Amino acid sequence: MASANKPINTDVPEKDVFALHFLQSLSNLRRQNTFNSPEKTNDRVKKIKKVAYVSMARAAGGTNRLWSRALLRRAAKENNKVVRFPRRKKRVTCLRRRRSNRRDPVEEEEAERLRNLVPGGGGMEISKLMEETAHYIKCLSMQVKVMQCLVDGLAPK
Amino acid sequence: MDPPLVNDSSFSPANPSSYTLSEIWPFPVNDAVRSGLRLAVNSSPSDKDVSTAAAAAAAAEESTVTDLTAGWGGRKARALNSEEDESSKMVSLSSSGNEVKDSGDKKRKLCGSESGNGDGSMRAEGETSSGGGSKATEQKNKPEPPKDYIHVRARRGQATDRHSLAERARREKISEKMTALQDIIPGCNKIIGKALVLDEIINYIQSLQRQVEFLSMKLEVVNSGPSTGPTIGVFPTGDLGTLPIDLHRNIYEQQQEGNESRGSHPEWLHMQVDGSFNRTT
Repeated sequence: MASANKPINTDVPEKDVFALHFLQSLSNLRRQNTFNSPEKTNDRVKKIKKVAYVSMARAAGGTNRLWSRALLRRAAKENNKVVRFPRRKKRVTCLRRRRSNRRDPVEEEEAERLRNLVPGGGGMEISKLMEETAHYIKCLSMQVKVMQCLVDGLAPK
Repeated sequence: MDPPLVNDSSFSPANPSSYTLSEIWPFPVNDAVRSGLRLAVNSSPSDKDVSTAAAAAAAAEESTVTDLTAGWGGRKARALNSEEDESSKMVSLSSSGNEVKDSGDKKRKLCGSESGNGDGSMRAEGETSSGGGSKATEQKNKPEPPKDYIHVRARRGQATDRHSLAERARREKISEKMTALQDIIPGCNKIIGKALVLDEIINYIQSLQRQVEFLSMKLEVVNSGPSTGPTIGVFPTGDLGTLPIDLHRNIYEQQQEGNESRGSHPEWLHMQVDGSFNRTT
């Protein structure tokens, strides 16, 4: 599954790394006292979902990827924590915006939708956005598979 | 023969076609133009002088009178140099019209037609062909900003504009990434057209996200059940080796690729789980 099939680097995270993170956080969640209240199912679902995304972001290369960074920042903001990321050298696109006209009307409306879906897609140019999308899709599919395995494995026999 | 007075016509005998200034240039002339003309008429066709002539002519380009001079001087230089500068690398204003080595047929035609015009009478055609000459010069000069020293072969009908080159490179990069994305997503190979492929991608991402949400709901139910209490509590240390053995095996032996179902939980995974299981809903 972890195969880089294009010259651009997309190193897919290993399943066990993600599973490890996820299970750890799940067990952390379980230990919380408020978790087992019978009513607030939606909250628990949301927490689990958030935990899944966060652990995926951490497993998928931490702060090396733009979308994972945005995810982590978003999650931290919900917890009122301030996260600092080390500044990368190639810090993005204000320069590029001036020069080339990247406003192709057909592409742009699709790109707008992509940007809404992929976390952190707001400030990116289309080519960078595509890279992030590819990596994000790979990580998402891995996440789905692992979660499905977990559900099936942990279900009461 | 008493030597002729020193005037502009005295410089002409070095030239194969003899011109006198009064013949050619019926218009009043200022100094810059005269020096430009003198240099163009006088010298042997070397690159430096041509560029100087063109530069001097270009310097006097403001007034309408000297506009024609520029065209004339440039055209003459072009006619002279078109046979010689096969491999010149000059990018200056005049000799940019001399790039015969470029593959654009459009440019070669223009060069040929201009050197053909060099034989006719200068004055009548001076205006029209210089008008055409300056336009041609402009056409060739506009793509090349004066500081650009990179020679790129342009395909026919496409500009060598730095901006359009960058634009083209960018577009190629985007399409390359799009094809890479097409490889990842199953069923996207047959679709042609950027918009449709992008639609597919968006649908796929949305379905994946919905699956995650659905699975998290399932997990939540599983977790909150009392029967799964001891199982989860086994990994406080985070050691995967303490997982129940079949779960361990499932994670590592997950082989299947792709995900055909959209929007609902995937059915195919159930084939991998051994033993009987209860689907908790």
